[in-house]
Amino acid sequence: MRRAVLLIWAVWTAWAGQSAVSAPDAVLDAMEAELERSRSLRLADLEAPYFIEYTLDDVSSVTLSATLGAIVARHQSRFRVPRVTVRVGSYDFDNTNYVLTDYFARAAQAAGDVPIEDSPLPLRTYFWLATDAAYKGAVEAIARKRAALRNVGARDSTPDFFRAEPARFFESAAVRLPDEGPWVGRVRELSAIFRGYPAVYASQVDYGGSLTVTRLVNTEGTRIQYPDWLAWIRFRADGQAPDGMPVRDAAALAWQDPAREPTVLELRSTAARVAENVTALAKAPAGDSYTGPVLLEGIAAPQLLAQVLGRNLAPVRRPVAEAGRTPPIEPSEFEDRLGARILPEWIDVVDDPTQAEWRGRRLLGRYRVDMEGVAPAPLALVERGVLKQFLLTRQPVSGASASNGRARLPGAFGANTSAISNLFVSASRTETAAALREKLIELSRRRGKGYGLLIRKLDFPSSADGRELRRMAAGARLRGAGARLLSRPLLVYRVWADGREELVRGLEFRSLSARLLRDIVAASDESHLFEFLANTAPLALAGAGGYVAGCSVVAPSLLLEEMELETVRDSYPRPPLVPAPALSISQ
Amino acid sequence: MNLRAGRILLLALAIPTSIWAAQVPLLEILSEELERNFRVLQAGADPAPYFISCAVTDTEYALISATRGALQAHSGRRSRLLDVTVRVGAPELDNYRPLAGETALFASARPIPLEDAPEAIRRALWLEIDRVYRAAAERLIRIKTQRQVSASEPEAPPDFSLEEPVRYAEEVPPLAFPAQEWAARVRTLSSGFSAFPELLGSRVSVVAQREVKYLVTTEGTRLTHGRRMARLEIAATARADDGMDLADSESFEALDDNPLPRDEAILEAIRRVGTVLTQLRRAPVIEPYVGPAILSGKAAGVFFHEIFGHRVEGHRQKDITEGQTFARSVGTRVLPEFLSVIFDPTVRRAAGADLLGSYRFDDEGVAARRVPVVENGVMKTFLMSRSPIRGFSHSNGHGRRQPGMEVVSRQSNLIVESERQVSSERLREMLLEEIRRQGKPYGYSFEHVTGGYTLTERRAIQAWKVIPLVVYRVWADGRPDELVRGADLVGTPLASFAKIAATSDQVGVFNGYCGAESGSVPVAAVSPALLVTELEIQKKPAGQDRPPILPPPQEAGGK
Repeated sequence: MRRAVLLIWAVWTAWAGQSAVSAPDAVLDAMEAELERSRSLRLADLEAPYFIEYTLDDVSSVTLSATLGAIVARHQSRFRVPRVTVRVGSYDFDNTNYVLTDYFARAAQAAGDVPIEDSPLPLRTYFWLATDAAYKGAVEAIARKRAALRNVGARDSTPDFFRAEPARFFESAAVRLPDEGPWVGRVRELSAIFRGYPAVYASQVDYGGSLTVTRLVNTEGTRIQYPDWLAWIRFRADGQAPDGMPVRDAAALAWQDPAREPTVLELRSTAARVAENVTALAKAPAGDSYTGPVLLEGIAAPQLLAQVLGRNLAPVRRPVAEAGRTPPIEPSEFEDRLGARILPEWIDVVDDPTQAEWRGRRLLGRYRVDMEGVAPAPLALVERGVLKQFLLTRQPVSGASASNGRARLPGAFGANTSAISNLFVSASRTETAAALREKLIELSRRRGKGYGLLIRKLDFPSSADGRELRRMAAGARLRGAGARLLSRPLLVYRVWADGREELVRGLEFRSLSARLLRDIVAASDESHLFEFLANTAPLALAGAGGYVAGCSVVAPSLLLEEMELETVRDSYPRPPLVPAPALSISQ
Repeated sequence: MNLRAGRILLLALAIPTSIWAAQVPLLEILSEELERNFRVLQAGADPAPYFISCAVTDTEYALISATRGALQAHSGRRSRLLDVTVRVGAPELDNYRPLAGETALFASARPIPLEDAPEAIRRALWLEIDRVYRAAAERLIRIKTQRQVSASEPEAPPDFSLEEPVRYAEEVPPLAFPAQEWAARVRTLSSGFSAFPELLGSRVSVVAQREVKYLVTTEGTRLTHGRRMARLEIAATARADDGMDLADSESFEALDDNPLPRDEAILEAIRRVGTVLTQLRRAPVIEPYVGPAILSGKAAGVFFHEIFGHRVEGHRQKDITEGQTFARSVGTRVLPEFLSVIFDPTVRRAAGADLLGSYRFDDEGVAARRVPVVENGVMKTFLMSRSPIRGFSHSNGHGRRQPGMEVVSRQSNLIVESERQVSSERLREMLLEEIRRQGKPYGYSFEHVTGGYTLTERRAIQAWKVIPLVVYRVWADGRPDELVRGADLVGTPLASFAKIAATSDQVGVFNGYCGAESGSVPVAAVSPALLVTELEIQKKPAGQDRPPILPPPQEAGGK
């Protein structure tokens, strides 16, 4: 299921904050009626709720998978995902931001399944039971939180919840579900393209589409309904080098408008490129460990920025915990760095969810209102290399005074997580692509190297399988990088002094920290758009499910003075003993 | 001995439409690729495989559920999952030999195309055989190493039995599930619970499923068979004022073309569940108790499944971490002599209900058969897969698994037969006599249970537990039976068997899903009601939360 990408052509009507007028919707009315009744919740002499919020996402989705011209999976589903939030205490101090907040909130899930039909009484019965359980969990959580704080020395005075203006708007839900019909044949045909590439051992094409209608009401007066349409297609292929090293490539496209679906030509060439890349990688030599200049070309630069900026521009708040039992939470590398230089002074970064298009392409990161009902505005995050702002939700963090409408994914400890939307990284000092390559060769020559490295694609969002992710996590722990996973580069080339390119395989980054950004020495005069669906899984793992947020990153190619790459040290099986079964290229 | 005619109706297997295996495209695709891989691996691999099989489970289901007149779920799915078995070494010692602290798991339920697309299926099978072969070879090396360093059983039974290959193919008709009709019906039925305002949650769900299994082995087995099943379940929950969570449910099953019950029967069950739960909210909580009790046929079925069935699963007899309650009991008396216990997957119907534990072939392609495990109280055999144990070198068609797991011996339809049958009235009189004889003020009657579990490992307490839903206290002084709540039935196996005193002529059927090492498999238990002279009852874990603070919402948005 998904949220946070909106239809821009849908009728959009907003009502004045206090207006008694509201669009007629049986489901919203039922939610609001139960919300009103729940205001009087009170258990003996314990505190009453000060804030209650109900979200109901109504999801209709289709998914299709095919391999070598045959359908492997085909599902349609229709379900609703409810979220019931009850806060007790006050905006200054409540039951959230405590290490057991989510544990106590889990009880609300015991209310059974929410009806998928609109009759008020069964819906209200669901919200009645879920609110009751959430309220009981909340009073228990706040009591435990108070007890935990009694034994903690220094106490953080940051409030627990930002106030927000009530929002009231209603977009018609009358948008048709992404159509599965024509895609059955298309996905079959696209997956058959891989028949022509015997070096590809396994391949899959997945198509998915969903229509999500989100409804949100809260006791501050917010009442929102909007539809959300999304379709995507993913290609994935795996092969094996003669020494056994697995090689793979993947590509994904997503769109929010049935009228903007990719052309058959674009889809075919994307599939073919994935197959060609795997074929080339299987034959390519293994790379050697390398420390030196790296040129990130094409989508590789926005892929790197999406990861490094994406995770660090979202501040991380440490929850209250029993003394000595603080959970291991990785802070943002930009913590306490507002006003400090994080990029070269000729680079600016703006996050703008209000921008609909870029060079005629509709952007995936556009949205009107975030998960908490807060409308976003453009944000100048980095000005002349200096960090100016963070992406904020209604969870207060030190130095901030209000949400800036970036709550796009569910978070922990009773809060949501912020994520980028449309991120524009621009350079005021640029060079041509050709000049960048020359500079790469020049820098590597000066470092006494025969070649410099050029990266054209990272594995982000990750297409790794569970086994590889576990190996990567073990590797990250050994490197002392905590549990943080680094995405691997997929397409790495040696650029020799004479300009010749040579594809290599099996390299990974030693680190991908924000410190790298200060090593950017040059940017191209051309920008590239990279779009992806963010989720809460590590490396935005493709297909991880749950909530997704569409993101677009626009950035120039970047030359970094120094990056460290090392040879992947996984152990892997030898190629199969039995030769592959024959494939016929024609259907 | 036989079941009494007229009480339990045993229906013979319906004769299926048999077709030639060679006409089943999927079997052909699988066998060609399997043979190709086997040839190359046998010629060039070290260690070489001596057996490879591939199983495909094609499952399609549709599900609709509703609460209080509104649909809650409407979904469906079809999948085809591939599981490959590779055995390297020799039947006497192969890669499936149990290793202390480690369970062999090679199967992975890999999705394959839903259509009979030869190239895509062959490629998936090729990759899967390669993966499983490597893991199998590696495990065999570890097994051989471990045997050199640790004391092993002197004459351990072989790891794999030789069985006749099977060639059989039947056509399974498509799943017929009129979704719109069912949606309307389930909606209406679920409104039946609206008459019980004290319930918290309630649900009526119907699921229809079609399962077709394909099996191809290098021994020559070419098998496809399957069945259709529909299940309607009603369930509701309530909470007592002290926070105790209460639940009751009932299910109806129908195999193949048999229909589910009519609405009147289902509404009757809904009324029963609603009434019992409403009464249970005010029922007294039990105190821990040891004494005589009656288990209804359904409850007795679950009781036998837990305390007996799991302990006669063959593979447990060769695993030294297992309790092996009956490992040396063959030929000795383990139950009262008026009782026999038969596992029979070929029986499709008993006491008016279709049995979920019926099948034609097990998951190793061995034909299902009637297996009398206990005859007149005397232990005769175990439930066997193709993993031999001492004294039993062949399968008796009870090797089962869910896709993605490895086969072990599992239960099918457990059928308890009794030679000491009395009428229900007489059984109740016998209970009262026993209560008085023991000098107790009351005994118990267990009407309805939801399931149970048992621990069979040595390092655990080898106990069992059955979770009752509806229990009555039966007073010796003639007071009416009293509904009580909060009871769990517990015990240890050997002590429990000795206390079975008599059975009634009323047979009950419990259909359910049993979870164990090889995953979840459908099973049934058929038993007459039992009088047990000593059962132990303990308190259920108490619920934490009080009933909801606010009253339930009312129609028309009222407060």
